Amino acid sequence: MGTTRSSWLSYVRRSPLLLFLVFYTVVSGGPFLWVAAMSLRTTPEIFAAPYAFPSRLHWEKFAEAWTKSNYGTYFWNSVIVVTTAVVLITVLGAMVAHALARYRFRGSRLVRFAILSGLILPPQLMILSLFQILLEYGLYNTLTGLIVVYVAGHLAITVYILEGFFAQIPQDLFDAARMDGYSDFEIFWRITLPIGVPAIFTTVTLNFIILWNEFLYAVVLLTDDDKRTLPLGIMHFMGSHQLDVGMLATGLMITIAPIILLYGFFSETMIKGMTAGAVR
Amino acid sequence: MAIVAIDKLTKRYDGGAEPAVRDVSLTVADGEFMVLLGPSGCGKSSVLRMIAGLEPITSGTVSIDGRVVNQVPARDRDIAMVFQSYALYPHMTVYQNLAFGLRRRSVPAAEIERRVKGAAERLGLTSFLARKPHALSGGQRQRVALGRAIVRDPKVFLFDEPLSNLDAALRVSTRNELIKQQSEIGITTIYVTHDQVEAMTMGHRICIMDRGEVIQVGRPLEVYGHPANTFVARFLGNPPMNLMKTELEGADGGLRCRVAGTAIAIDGRFESGGANSVILGVRPEDLYELPAPPGLGPMAEIAVRVIAVEPLGAETLLVLASADDAQEFIARVGRQTKLAPGDRTTIALDTSRIHLFDAASTRAIPRRRS
Amino acid sequence: MFLAPALVLYAAFMVYPVLRTFYNSIHSIKPQGVQEFVGLANFRELLSTDLVFWKAVGNTAVFAVIATVADVLGGLLLALCLYSRPPFAKLLRVVWFTPVLMSYVVVGVIWVWIYDYDWGLANSLLRWLGLGAFEQSWLGDPHTALGSVMATHIWKWLGFNMIIFLAALSALPAEVLGAAELDNCGWLAKLVYIIVPMLRPTIVNLTVLSFIGKMMIFDLVWIMTGGGPLWSTETVSTYVYKRAFDWNTFDLGYPSAIAVLWFFIIMIFVVLMTRVFRQRDKLEF
Repeated sequence: MGTTRSSWLSYVRRSPLLLFLVFYTVVSGGPFLWVAAMSLRTTPEIFAAPYAFPSRLHWEKFAEAWTKSNYGTYFWNSVIVVTTAVVLITVLGAMVAHALARYRFRGSRLVRFAILSGLILPPQLMILSLFQILLEYGLYNTLTGLIVVYVAGHLAITVYILEGFFAQIPQDLFDAARMDGYSDFEIFWRITLPIGVPAIFTTVTLNFIILWNEFLYAVVLLTDDDKRTLPLGIMHFMGSHQLDVGMLATGLMITIAPIILLYGFFSETMIKGMTAGAVR
Repeated sequence: MAIVAIDKLTKRYDGGAEPAVRDVSLTVADGEFMVLLGPSGCGKSSVLRMIAGLEPITSGTVSIDGRVVNQVPARDRDIAMVFQSYALYPHMTVYQNLAFGLRRRSVPAAEIERRVKGAAERLGLTSFLARKPHALSGGQRQRVALGRAIVRDPKVFLFDEPLSNLDAALRVSTRNELIKQQSEIGITTIYVTHDQVEAMTMGHRICIMDRGEVIQVGRPLEVYGHPANTFVARFLGNPPMNLMKTELEGADGGLRCRVAGTAIAIDGRFESGGANSVILGVRPEDLYELPAPPGLGPMAEIAVRVIAVEPLGAETLLVLASADDAQEFIARVGRQTKLAPGDRTTIALDTSRIHLFDAASTRAIPRRRS
Repeated sequence: MFLAPALVLYAAFMVYPVLRTFYNSIHSIKPQGVQEFVGLANFRELLSTDLVFWKAVGNTAVFAVIATVADVLGGLLLALCLYSRPPFAKLLRVVWFTPVLMSYVVVGVIWVWIYDYDWGLANSLLRWLGLGAFEQSWLGDPHTALGSVMATHIWKWLGFNMIIFLAALSALPAEVLGAAELDNCGWLAKLVYIIVPMLRPTIVNLTVLSFIGKMMIFDLVWIMTGGGPLWSTETVSTYVYKRAFDWNTFDLGYPSAIAVLWFFIIMIFVVLMTRVFRQRDKLEF
């Protein structure tokens, strides 16, 4: 009886919702498709018809961007900085999280307070002094300097997430390991790390995304063109070649390509990673 | 007050190979307390939710007072429900919880106040009206859930395992409370549980379900005394009925079956079905230590070995094995016994109270009416 | 042992800089390492004569308040859309989250193009709809610049709030919603009387989180307008940057003072907000 009729009716009733869904999907995803299209068109083509599909796919623009417009350099800088920083953050962060989660020692509360308060410090509070400090130590305008700053700056969120996870590992596992004669470091290496892999995965994703896109620290602490990371590269290009929309679009695609690629395969992990800090 | 009738109700969940509820038909009379009893996953909660309108129906009909309500949304069916987890609104006070449904139905404020205060008094909640659910104990929350249903003055009450989250002592007192309320208010009630004690003590009639189907419906003592199959036989009664596989031998006039070597005369008391493999059922309370008390039916004596003795205070349970170790069964005897584990003795079986089930279909072989 | 390397780094590059900024704020730091103790002079100048600062504060405040409200409400709206199980819900969720993953730089450039007067999407769309009269120089006009940047920022972050709300919505006990159904609640009533009140802790958390983030905003503004036109999008953090690196007189003390002051203001607001909105009793369910 009424099954077909009622589901048709429910479609009608839901049509405003469905319209909105389509609308918002276009709004949130459309711009990226636009950039993707523009990245394969030359600037004159774009100005002639900004919203058309590429008539010819100018793949050579990517090569051009890579070499002539220096995006290749920017890309590698980003890769170096981000991977090194993420590795360091993960290793150091896991160690701190392990220590905080498993051991009670004098000063542990102070350490925890210090690290977690780093979560709410605005960057402005530190960049000026960091600028001075890096200058003084000769780390200004170096990738190393940036890496060091990134690691220090993002330890807090990593420790926060990992500590919560590590603390839930049952104490019995550790007691058994200790009775079996494992040293502290071995316990960390053989128990906490393997079990903590999902959480570590989450923080790696989170850190990767944040640092790949990071702008403020980089713009303050790097000045040489050949040290620029991708976000800086784009900004610089925007400043000097504002009208070369086609090349800019290609540069944008280079910047977002790794993320989109990872997102395609790991969308669930990335979503979880990015929101991990906020879900209590 | 209303008659609730469900006819060939079926529920299929997406991706389910088997239907969760299969062709269930049941009629609940006006003012009756009907208990849906069965193990977890038997579909009883699904049936309840379909009656409530919270679950879409795959096929079949639900009618209230003769009117088919399949397409009627839950809120228009004039039904109130008490959930297993009470489902109180955590951000509202007890008063607001009780009043919410009425307010949503534009009942005048004075009437709301009258009903809420009335229900609160009835359930002893008056001093808690300003509290929020997290400040109440389990039993109190339960009463608020009940109050919310009472205040609505609906045609039907639905209960979904409301006592399972309470501790044992509270369960007993709340159970009596519910029985009292229902008989005073007299609203048609459908009550889902997996606890057979609740079913036996609370229901006017019980409906036993297993794997989506209705197995048997009837008054508690009727179902207890005449189970339709071995599932029902073992589900009701604690400790459960002893079941023993055996063969019918002899012919009409001398029909017997053997339990541990002892012949038990069947003769003429059961419908002959033609099946030879049967399952003999005897409840623990129908096994006696010798000498057996007078006034019982013809007794058969079985040689046994005592495996364990469990004194419960008011009675003793004996875990026994037949002398040839072929069968094991439990007997319920008096307050004390002289028997100890390892003893060999004889126990008496009241043959007038045995049940026979077809071994292949597990269905009961009906007694012949004489 | 475990903590040593991490703590050293952290102390050197997080704790120390913070303390040093505080130190800086009460000095006047000139080039060539010349430092001069000026006490609270920086703060006094800041609060009394610096009109740009106050304009920046105003902009940032407007931004933080309006964008936060829009963000949280929008995120809730999107989450509710997905909660009602439309077709392709999983795919939609993935697509709608995409802006969150992109760098501010990328987002900024794209929206600069969208807002372009001649060929940008915004104006082209208006012309196409026959509403050509409404076309603006979105980022060039001091009246619309802040709003335009705000719109972009909201666009980027809606997906984030949406995911959090979705998780919270899924955690709502189904039986309570069933009880509401029986209490004569349609979807609107359920939303207003049951869902939103039960989501209150999440709403508060997200609001505070959002607010803090917006009070510190730099990247997007810098890319899109650099603080112009005419200071209409100047935020406190862009001003700090400019004062430190783009000013004719080089003095790190002054912008440090701004940073310190702003930090305290944010802290005060956070404490206030948590106090005011905090749930007195726990919503246990």
